[in-house]
Amino acid sequence: MINKALTTLGSYFIFLKQVFRKPENVRLYLKQFIVEADKLVFSSVLIVAVISLFIGGVLVIQTASNLENPFIDKMYVGYMVRESLILEFCSTMIALILAGKVGSNIASELGSMRITEQIDAMEMMGINSAGFLVRPKILAATILNPLLMMLSFLLGLAGAWLVVKLTGIIRIASFVEGITYCYNGFYIFYSAFKMSLFSFIISSVSAFCGYYAHGGSLGVGRKSTHAIVASSILILLFDLIVTQLMLY
Amino acid sequence: MIEVKHLYKSFEDKDVLIDINAVFDTGKCNMIIGKSGSGKTVLLKNLIGLLSPDKGDIIYEGNSLINMSGKNKKLLHRNIGILFQGSALYDFTTVLGNVMFPLDFFSDLSYNEKLARARFCLDRVNIKDSDNKYPSELSGGMQKRVGIARAIALNPKFLFCDEPNSGLDPYTSILIDQLIEEITKEMNITTVINTHDMNSMLEHGDNIYFVKGGTIAWHGDKRSILSSDNAALKEFVCANALARNIIEGQEK
Ligand SMILES: Nc1ncnc2c1ncn2[C@@H]1O[C@H](COP(=O)(O)OP(=O)(O)OP(=O)(O)O)[C@@H](O)[C@H]1O
Ligand SMILES: [Mg+2]
Repeated sequence: MINKALTTLGSYFIFLKQVFRKPENVRLYLKQFIVEADKLVFSSVLIVAVISLFIGGVLVIQTASNLENPFIDKMYVGYMVRESLILEFCSTMIALILAGKVGSNIASELGSMRITEQIDAMEMMGINSAGFLVRPKILAATILNPLLMMLSFLLGLAGAWLVVKLTGIIRIASFVEGITYCYNGFYIFYSAFKMSLFSFIISSVSAFCGYYAHGGSLGVGRKSTHAIVASSILILLFDLIVTQLMLY
Repeated sequence: MIEVKHLYKSFEDKDVLIDINAVFDTGKCNMIIGKSGSGKTVLLKNLIGLLSPDKGDIIYEGNSLINMSGKNKKLLHRNIGILFQGSALYDFTTVLGNVMFPLDFFSDLSYNEKLARARFCLDRVNIKDSDNKYPSELSGGMQKRVGIARAIALNPKFLFCDEPNSGLDPYTSILIDQLIEEITKEMNITTVINTHDMNSMLEHGDNIYFVKGGTIAWHGDKRSILSSDNAALKEFVCANALARNIIEGQEK
């Protein structure tokens, strides 16, 4: 069991080394980067936007109903919504959603290329298939996903603002005061960093799972499930580690 | 010319190839024939380096594949074209994109020259007006032909085809076989074909190796295949009704 885990870890790092070998043709890698950015990042904008708007709205109602106490300034509702969004929701929760969406996409795409011998065909042309197919995915997700996190943050606040505006659950002025209260720029960095790290985990782990798929379409299905489960667990684990290291 | 010397390959405890010796000549359609599961694909994968043999060597024009440095292996791979059993076209790109792919990676030609070369290869295999189709929109026979076009794009010295006509109707099979033979003679390349198609062997087999039980059980060409008295070969050949009639006719 432990033996198997260590072997897997070892092959994961060997895989990464292969992925980051010197590219044969930089121009083609760049072109692929743009394709992957579109496929992995920009295509997720809509789902991230919808989820963030709704969660922002829900968060503000829940927080307001928990702060009924007349001695607590209502301004704290806005403040707490902002902090929950930036600290946990916009990075970790969005990353978990992306692990499902992007992770299964990467694993099943590479898996079916493997079982239909497309990867062999590429290797036989003398092309580093892991590099060409995987590196642009990892780079696109790791570099660009923090933009999704920023978008999610802004739209979460917008969702909360909209709910306050429509329901009058608290005064709009104290909500605005709350979301600007005690603003800490480091939290934005912390959240963006987490998002980058989680995106690296999602893309590299899913690619690893898919790249070594075998056993026909069943095998590919199995590997995409693995990809989602493994990246989700690793995200939670690293969330804990990074938070302990950066915030405490 | 490719020479195979004392090649052994086994998986876990199953010996798939046992002491294989063969010579594949330039400008000829060399064939590896045998029943399903006899080890043809494993032999082919050893030849091209997708699997490494347990023992023995493969010599490409005097250069041993086993002792070749990584760099030389890469150079060799650029001189190898392969048609896979399932075509293995890249489904992230179009027909034209597939043929352009090796050119984009490895040639210093200008875009227009590459385009011209890709068009030439596609014309050569009779694929017209399909530049912008994706592989999933093609029939099996068309996929094979695009696979051949991709394999010859870089002017290879060696061409490997794993069952080029499995899953095709007899007529299309003949066209694909003819195409491979023409290209082999035209470009003077060393072609190795895995097949269990009787038509292909009788029409195009210049140099045939019959694999059985992991060894070369018979070696000859299309003229001698029907007159051989090798029992195992006879059994294999007689599975085909036409060939059986001919052989029985000879014996009478
Ligand atoms: N990766 C592998 N691991 C274990 N055994 C294998 C592997 N690849 C092939 N074999 C075994 O090697 C033997 C030969 O397989 P191979 O694919 O070469 O047959 P083949 O002659 O190409 O058959 P077909 O005509 O059906 O394609 C089979 O018994 C197969 O089970
Ligand atoms: Mg085979």
